[in-house]
Amino acid sequence: MASWRWWRGILITFGLLVAMRFFLPLPFMNEVLVFSIYTIGCNFLLGRVGFISFGQPAYLAIGAYGTAFYLFYFGTNPYLGILVGLACGVVFSFIVGLLFVRLRSDYFALVNLALAVIVFYMFQKVLAEITKGDNGLWFLTNIASTPILNLSRPSEFFMFVMILGVLIWAMYKYLDDTVFGACCLATKLNETKLEFLGYSNFKIRLTAFVIANSTTALAGCLYAIYLGFVSPEMTSPARTADPVVVTILGGVGSLLGPIVGTIAYTGLRDVASKFIGNWELFVGIILVFIMMSNSGGLYGSLEKLLQRLFGGSHEPSPGKSATAVKQ
Amino acid sequence: MSVQLLISGVIFGLSLASIYFLISVGLSLCFGLMRIISLDQLLYYSFGAFLTYSVSTLTGSFWLGLLAGVSVGVVLALAVERLIFRRIYERELTFSMITSFGILLGGIGAIKGFWGVVPKPVPVPFDNQVSLLGTDIPLYRLLVVVLAALVYGGIWLFLNRTIIGKAIRAGIEDMEHVEGLGINAARLFTITFVLAGSLSALAGGLYAPLIMVDPHMGLEVLAFVFMVVIIGGLGSIKGTLYSSLLVGQVVSIGSLVYAPLAIMAPFAMMLLILLVRPTGLFGAALAK
Repeated sequence: MASWRWWRGILITFGLLVAMRFFLPLPFMNEVLVFSIYTIGCNFLLGRVGFISFGQPAYLAIGAYGTAFYLFYFGTNPYLGILVGLACGVVFSFIVGLLFVRLRSDYFALVNLALAVIVFYMFQKVLAEITKGDNGLWFLTNIASTPILNLSRPSEFFMFVMILGVLIWAMYKYLDDTVFGACCLATKLNETKLEFLGYSNFKIRLTAFVIANSTTALAGCLYAIYLGFVSPEMTSPARTADPVVVTILGGVGSLLGPIVGTIAYTGLRDVASKFIGNWELFVGIILVFIMMSNSGGLYGSLEKLLQRLFGGSHEPSPGKSATAVKQ
Repeated sequence: MSVQLLISGVIFGLSLASIYFLISVGLSLCFGLMRIISLDQLLYYSFGAFLTYSVSTLTGSFWLGLLAGVSVGVVLALAVERLIFRRIYERELTFSMITSFGILLGGIGAIKGFWGVVPKPVPVPFDNQVSLLGTDIPLYRLLVVVLAALVYGGIWLFLNRTIIGKAIRAGIEDMEHVEGLGINAARLFTITFVLAGSLSALAGGLYAPLIMVDPHMGLEVLAFVFMVVIIGGLGSIKGTLYSSLLVGQVVSIGSLVYAPLAIMAPFAMMLLILLVRPTGLFGAALAK
């Protein structure tokens, strides 16, 4: 059954997530799911296209504020809010992408980080009249209850994000199988060759950029709905590294790496914040340690373990996660 | 806009440019020679400022504090270079960027642990004013500009008149040839990195009396330093000088015209320049 083989990894992982729901508190699980969606965009950019982006919080905030503006000023339907936020994310990443994807990867990384800081100041100071500055927008009571999957209730929100997560992961897995996915890898490894084959590097990078950052914006919309408020804090310069840390922790370029990484990261953060107050120190040390230890991340190690247990029946991820960062 | 406001704006912009230049010249040198993006320069900047704060409040002497800040910057840079960067020079550029961001974050955590999160004031060493074309200018700001100019002169002399400096310039062109001449590349890298770190620490110490020192000060200046480096072109010292002057003036004059412009204008300028020249004003089309 080819289709079962195809779906197996995703369905087993999400099945495990549903099972974890019975042991772990619901807010933690919601955080894990939304954060994984947040990270997969970064993972795709870094592992498939070879772009490192420290600017992901910018796209997250655009999505979140898109939803927040709709729910705070205009309407009450959370689904419409998500659509509005997603549309903002697509438009924003398309415009930004037109300018950014022409750059060399070092300039790309720097420009993105600068963008995140700019977006932070924009929401905190420049647009303070409509964003209420540091206080943030509170609209939890504005969210209307809907007949099917009432998003204002955490348990039904969990189910909604679960379905969405399966769809997103299926989309990224499908992308890997298509010509476009192959082109993405090719533009990372040898852009001159790809040019000779008749493909446009610019178009492929732009498409990949828009897809990845729209996913990030979608995570922003989900954050907005789930927390019921948004503040510039979510894009503060101290948090720009979060998705990159989780991507590398989970294993760059592996499809399920973001989920594994997020569970480890969120779990560690919750545990660590009970013992040590300042948590940048902790993130920094983890990041340096993982980079120096030069492993394929948690998922890479997990995959090897699974392969040994099941005699190599587990299909290897196409990215060859261990070599993704080193190129 | 009155002339007096304009003059004080220009001086303010020059002092900002001095600080940006001191930090970004280190970043640019590191990129040119070692092909790394060393975000941890912002950490030496913060440590320089905090050491200046601690020592100057303890002893009462700002200059002693500045000295302490720079020396701690040197020691830290040396330690980081020996322990971490030495092992990753061969790796891809993004690798150094992620690792150094980890160092920066970890360092900020350490600063928070030592000094707490409350912003702290550093007393200005002297608060005399000088009159320039009928405008009162704080003398300290002028001093910052003069010191930065001296540093630029010093770097120029170092790079053009000493053997090590010439080796560094040659290394930016072609590292393999320099190694072939029998020059110790590892020592050259260490010298460059420590030089960059000490300049960043100097910038932090000098800037401390003009702002409040707080743990996130490195992250706040990060975006501007990046804009300077990007506009000037990675690896070019001349470009760094010109673009820091440009960004400093745009921030300062922009904020006089309309306050939010201070942040948005340099960013818009950066995008425009990148559209015309994707490698910045003076950046060469380097092949990695």
